[in-house]
Amino acid sequence: MSIVVVTAGLFCLGLYGVLTRRDLVGVLASVELILGAANVQLVAFGAAARQPDSQALALFVLVIAAAEAAVGLALLLAAVRRTGRSRVDELTEVEG
Amino acid sequence: MSGIVVFWLLAAIAFVGALTVVATRDVMRLVLGLGAFLVSVAGFFLYFKMEFIAIAQVFVYVGGVLVLVLFAIMIVVRDEIGTPALSSRFSLPAASVSVGLFLLLIGTVGPEGPALSAVGWQGGMPELGRELLGTYLPHFEALGVLLLATLVGVLAISGKGESR
Repeated sequence: MSIVVVTAGLFCLGLYGVLTRRDLVGVLASVELILGAANVQLVAFGAAARQPDSQALALFVLVIAAAEAAVGLALLLAAVRRTGRSRVDELTEVEG
Repeated sequence: MSGIVVFWLLAAIAFVGALTVVATRDVMRLVLGLGAFLVSVAGFFLYFKMEFIAIAQVFVYVGGVLVLVLFAIMIVVRDEIGTPALSSRFSLPAASVSVGLFLLLIGTVGPEGPALSAVGWQGGMPELGRELLGTYLPHFEALGVLLLATLVGVLAISGKGESR
C-alpha cells in the first residue's frame, strides 16, 4: 500500500463519476478529481526522484485544470441558457 | 512515523470527498466533497514540501474554482435540486471499467511506488523560481497566453445567448 494505490484509486473514482453522473456539474467535478489525483501522483514521483522540475509541471497542470473548469462551467451556462437543461443525456441536440 | 499518519489522514479525507462527489444526489454536498478533496490535495503538496504549489492550489481552487461552481449552481441547477442525479443504467459497466483500470495501473506501476519515508526534500521555492524563469520560461509565457484565451473564450461562450 502506497501513494500509487491512493492516487490510482482517486483517479478511478473520478473516472467512475465521469461515466455515471448525469448532471454536468457532477461530470466537471469528477474531471477535477481525475486531474487532482494525477497531479498528486506527479508530485509524489518528482519528490521521490528529487527533481525540482515536478513542481513547475504540477503548477502547469494546476493552471490548465483551472482553465478547463472555467470553460466547462461557461459551456454549462450556455447550454442551460439555450436549452434549459443541464443533464448530459438530455443535451442531444447539436446546433450552431 | 507521524508523517505516515498525516499521509493516511489526507488520503482518508481525499477519499471521503471523492466518494461524496461521485455518489451524492445533493449538489451542495457535491461542492463540499469537492472542496474537501481539493484541500486534501493541497495537503498532499504540503506533505511533499511544495509550499508554493499548495498555496496556489488553495488560492486557485478553493478560492476560485469552487466559488465559480457555486455561482454556476446558483444560476443553473436551482430547479433540479433534489432530483436524483445518479443513473443506474451504466453503473455496472462503469464500475467494471474503473476497477479494471485501477488494477491495470497498479499492475503496471507496481503497488509499491516511492517509499513514503524517503519522499521529500528541502528548499523547493528557489528551485521553482529558477525552473519557471529559466528552463520553463517559454511554457510559462504560453500559459499566460492560454489564460488570456480562456478569459476571452469564456466571455464569448457565456456572454451572449438569450435567457430562457
